Amino acid sequence: MDLPERYAIDGDAMDGGMATVFKCHDRILERPVALKVMPRRFKTRRLNDELQALYTIRSKHVVQVFDVCVDNTSVGIVQEFVDGKDLFSTDIAPSSADDFLFILWQIASGISDIHAAGLIHRDIKPNNMKVDQEGILKIFDFGLAREDGPAAATVGFVGTVGFSAPEQYVAGTQFTQSIDIFAFGATALYFGTQSLCAELSAEPPSAFASNPFLSLPFTIPTDVADTLFACMAHLPSNRPKMSAVCQTIEKHLLFNRHRALVVLNGKPSYLDKDNTSVSLTFGSIAGVKIEYDGLLFKVTNVAGDVFVNNAAVAVGDALPGACVLTLGGPERRATQRAYVTFDLSNPEIIA
Amino acid sequence: MTGPLSSGQTIGGRYVVQNYLDEGGMQFVYVAKDTVTDRVVALKTPKNPSAEKRFRRSAIVAAKVNHPNVAKTLDYVEEDGSTFLIEELIAGKDLKAALLTRTDYIDPYLVAKIFRHLAKGVAAAHHNGVVHRDLKPTNIMIVGEYNVTELKVTDFGIAKMAEAEMDEAVEGGDASLSASATALGAIPYMAPEAIDAPDTVGLPADVWSVGAIVLHILYGDYPYGSGLRAVGNITKNTPISTPKFVTSKSQFRPLAEEIIEIASRCLQLDATSRPTADQLVEMCDALCYTVSDRRVGTIKNYIHNAWGFIRTAGDDVFFHKDSVFGQLPKVNESVVFSCYDGGQAPRALPVLKLK
Repeated sequence: MDLPERYAIDGDAMDGGMATVFKCHDRILERPVALKVMPRRFKTRRLNDELQALYTIRSKHVVQVFDVCVDNTSVGIVQEFVDGKDLFSTDIAPSSADDFLFILWQIASGISDIHAAGLIHRDIKPNNMKVDQEGILKIFDFGLAREDGPAAATVGFVGTVGFSAPEQYVAGTQFTQSIDIFAFGATALYFGTQSLCAELSAEPPSAFASNPFLSLPFTIPTDVADTLFACMAHLPSNRPKMSAVCQTIEKHLLFNRHRALVVLNGKPSYLDKDNTSVSLTFGSIAGVKIEYDGLLFKVTNVAGDVFVNNAAVAVGDALPGACVLTLGGPERRATQRAYVTFDLSNPEIIA
Repeated sequence: MTGPLSSGQTIGGRYVVQNYLDEGGMQFVYVAKDTVTDRVVALKTPKNPSAEKRFRRSAIVAAKVNHPNVAKTLDYVEEDGSTFLIEELIAGKDLKAALLTRTDYIDPYLVAKIFRHLAKGVAAAHHNGVVHRDLKPTNIMIVGEYNVTELKVTDFGIAKMAEAEMDEAVEGGDASLSASATALGAIPYMAPEAIDAPDTVGLPADVWSVGAIVLHILYGDYPYGSGLRAVGNITKNTPISTPKFVTSKSQFRPLAEEIIEIASRCLQLDATSRPTADQLVEMCDALCYTVSDRRVGTIKNYIHNAWGFIRTAGDDVFFHKDSVFGQLPKVNESVVFSCYDGGQAPRALPVLKLK
């Protein structure tokens, strides 16, 4: 296309799926930008509403658009250039379960932000996301080949084989956010195994005989494997919400990283992965044992009357974020009851 | 409207000025509508027209940094002899306005979160060789007030413009100091080398400023004082001692001590002894804090002078005196707090008294 003087093409066209993407130099701000060129249908510099919404979404994990240029035949979208490798690159293949889960958590957070805005990405796949120099994963290239949006695109198959949901192969289907969830599951499986399996290569994808996330080169927690597998359910309504996937992954990213501050008689002590249990006793009146299993702080023994925030506690209960444990029943005088504060905290998971 | 622009004016054939937002020491800030991408943006223009050349340099410097904890540079326009920087519009207030207006100090949990996000933003800039030079609460944008849902460092590169003004102010003593709002705001957080030898200022100066900001928000007081007195205290590195309330309660002491320890490493006279921003991020990554939503309420009562309830729009929330950071609120006074599920009433921790 005829580019405004501001931008100079800098290098070869990159594989952009349904459009052509060029790395350009922005002469004014002296920085690299990515230019996506698509055929033009309308005579304005303004984009259609849905494309507009997709490009103006606020998420750490979605690239930002800077400018739009047009000539007689094309429209160019100038966006943030992500200096990094896409998920097809073997350079960023996960070497451990933690690596794998942290990348998946970022993808899930980005898709979750897109869905929270009521939008659908439509083309989630490993080469539509990159990890930048700061280690932050960014999703780009919304699945819209034309400036007039997706309406026309529902005729026939549009999508990427290997990452498209079964319903995308059925003509006339009204797509929902659940196609992104299927594509997320497929992307996760590709990223974990570094290959595209036969079930996903089939058109349409075929059903799995067993959960492939249970046989990755590294072991991931069973509930995460189950959730990821559920993302690829053939029935869209059986796929979990993206925000729920995020929460499940986040729980395990915090494995062994919690800390509980226990204060008895003004004396603070910590429970954590190195110091996993504490027994608190108050004379012969009452006692309680708390153990940390890497995810939760659970009551494993109770003697006498023990209350958590005034509710009686039983073996197996998990303690809430911040609570007061009382040793001794409410019928006792204040001097015959002991109070223990229990405050749970953990590092914040951020990219 | 304040400043040179008026509502409805179009800049660069694209940005329609909506309203005046704020002004910093060096620039006016407006809210504008970008008619190309259909979003609202921040539009900044320098107060001093002679600063325009440096304004473009500062835009280019800021545009190199792309990180969630740094305000994103979107565009730069030169038109009819004026210059404009277009930045993402952050739906919040600067740290001073957001967090140091109704409270003087902040509890260690929230300080830890701010410390970590601030360190990450500064580290991203340092990866690109960009020194901020003027880190201070008014250059840090906070979204969500006491929830701090987002933190973004802004005004990278602007400091270079302010340097001449500040040198003059420091040399001229108290009278010219108080005449320069720019210098007054920056001095309490300025590294010793920024005062002694501004030409030598490099990345470690930002690390010092992060340490000074963090101690300020934890202590509720400038760690080196303010005005000309701060200059002497900074160059001799004689900070105030930790206020008693910061470490007096068991529920806050361990985290407060960790924060003070990390901040103190940033505050070393010898710039090469300070941690790099990456090392600082690593230390902050290990900090444990809670990110529960903060709510506002008023103290309903005290029972046995030890605990009581906070009245909110919904349920009453239980609190204990030991969970209050700093000054104890009186009945009917406002507080901001996080709360957790309790058996009968939810429990608050931490609790901060509001003015």
